[in-house]
Amino acid sequence: MSQPELLSQDFELGFTYTRSTGPVVGRFLTDLRDRIIVGIKGSDGKVYVPPMEYDPVTAEELSEFVEVGQSGEVVSWCWVKEPRDSHPSAVPFAWALIKLDGADVPMVHVLRASAESEVSTGMRVTARWAEETRGFITDIDGFVAAGDES
Amino acid sequence: MANLAAVVGIGQTKYQTRRGDVSIAGLLREAAVKALEDAGLGFDDIDAVIIGKAPDMFEGVVMPEIYLTDALGANGKPMLRVHTAGSVGGSTALVAASHVQSGTFKRVLTVTFEKQSESNAMWALSSPHPFSPHLNAGAGGYFAPIIREYMRRSGAPYDVGIKVATKDRLHGARNPLAHLQLPDITMAKVEESPMLWDPIRFLESCPSSDGACAMVIADASLVSESPKPPAWIRGVAMRSEPTMYAGREEVSPQAGRDCAADVYAQAGITNPRKDFDCAEVYVPFSWYEPMWLENLGFAEEGKGWKLTMEGATSLDENGDIPWNCSGGVLSSNPIGASGMIRFAEAARQVRGDAGAHQVEGARTALGHAYGGGAQFFAMWVVSADKG
Repeated sequence: MSQPELLSQDFELGFTYTRSTGPVVGRFLTDLRDRIIVGIKGSDGKVYVPPMEYDPVTAEELSEFVEVGQSGEVVSWCWVKEPRDSHPSAVPFAWALIKLDGADVPMVHVLRASAESEVSTGMRVTARWAEETRGFITDIDGFVAAGDES
Repeated sequence: MANLAAVVGIGQTKYQTRRGDVSIAGLLREAAVKALEDAGLGFDDIDAVIIGKAPDMFEGVVMPEIYLTDALGANGKPMLRVHTAGSVGGSTALVAASHVQSGTFKRVLTVTFEKQSESNAMWALSSPHPFSPHLNAGAGGYFAPIIREYMRRSGAPYDVGIKVATKDRLHGARNPLAHLQLPDITMAKVEESPMLWDPIRFLESCPSSDGACAMVIADASLVSESPKPPAWIRGVAMRSEPTMYAGREEVSPQAGRDCAADVYAQAGITNPRKDFDCAEVYVPFSWYEPMWLENLGFAEEGKGWKLTMEGATSLDENGDIPWNCSGGVLSSNPIGASGMIRFAEAARQVRGDAGAHQVEGARTALGHAYGGGAQFFAMWVVSADKG
């Protein structure tokens, strides 16, 4: 029995948007452009990186920015064996949760290493900056094992 | 029987073209904090948060509610989002009210918003579909033929819409929160403005605004804990119908008439023009004032335009039933919030807290919102009297 013809059509829908970062995320991104990483102090005394606009416990507006270190410790990680086009690296890398010195919570970012075997929980890593910084999270090109940042 | 609930706090941002200084969360936060301050309360006094905005495609943030809990003090509390296109501000208020009236929560914070400067509302409203020509119509293009049909049936003079556009902007000039501030507007200026979607001119259309509106709704037992007079919620109703079906009455949708009949019956309204002191009604394009005057029973069919032309709906002409004293949607339109602004402004009137656009002695008011292809309706009746 022959199949009836089923109509289908490729359909792509796209719109353009803009985004305002506000005073807190905006400050974080602006400081990245100057190669500085800031967090914000919450009511519980913890330093949150990236900074949050509102306290996760009391919902109060937060404003006490704290500069944190550019090195830290890998809390957890996941190796990406076969990066896709949209990944920030053409070669295998790790997504890592990195607790920067002076921060109380880890931040997710790219960890660059030549092999999975070179990555471990607890390892010390340091930010490597992009050649040109623009106020994007990608101003941090990635983290590398401490001592390999140059 | 539902428990009695009241609006005990209202907060609005100043509506304007662009709020580039705040994030989306920051915009909502501003309205929420103002509403809590107005109610003499803090986030700890709130049991649940109900938010609303226009469709996700408008701003391109899918499910914004999942990142707004911190900003609205909702961590560890129930949070719910309501969607009903342009009427969402109204239906969000009603969902919030029903959570108190049902006895589920004692005090609810409800917030609606739109940051249209960051969105693409015009084309998100009129997206192309496979196998169909793209109309590129936008909202005005959709409603213009319905307005023309109203004009044909009623025989209304051509300048009724011009009168509404002028009147609502004069009202808006009394309201410091209104986006458009056009104290010198005249009917001649409206008439000279470019025709966008015949018969809708540029100045007969709503602006595109950034803004948020919030309210605190409390159970009757807690109303006295807030310092200002409450707006008692005396009736609540929603109705829906499909966008298109054979024989649909698009000029005066059945869902709108049914919704009004329901909310009036709850509040004991028998003659809306007489029983209400004022109304805040969703009029994004000027001609919707006479159309809704009829749909909502303020005038007989075909005669709504006469009320408008006589000045009955004008604060400046001492009309007996002022509509949209705040300036209405024609003066401020952050879409997701626009319906709630109607509901909140109705409440401000009966609380005696509407500033320079206060209707003297207002005790009972209607808040109204519509959305989609004039297919979702949300209404409430608020009163200074407990009933």
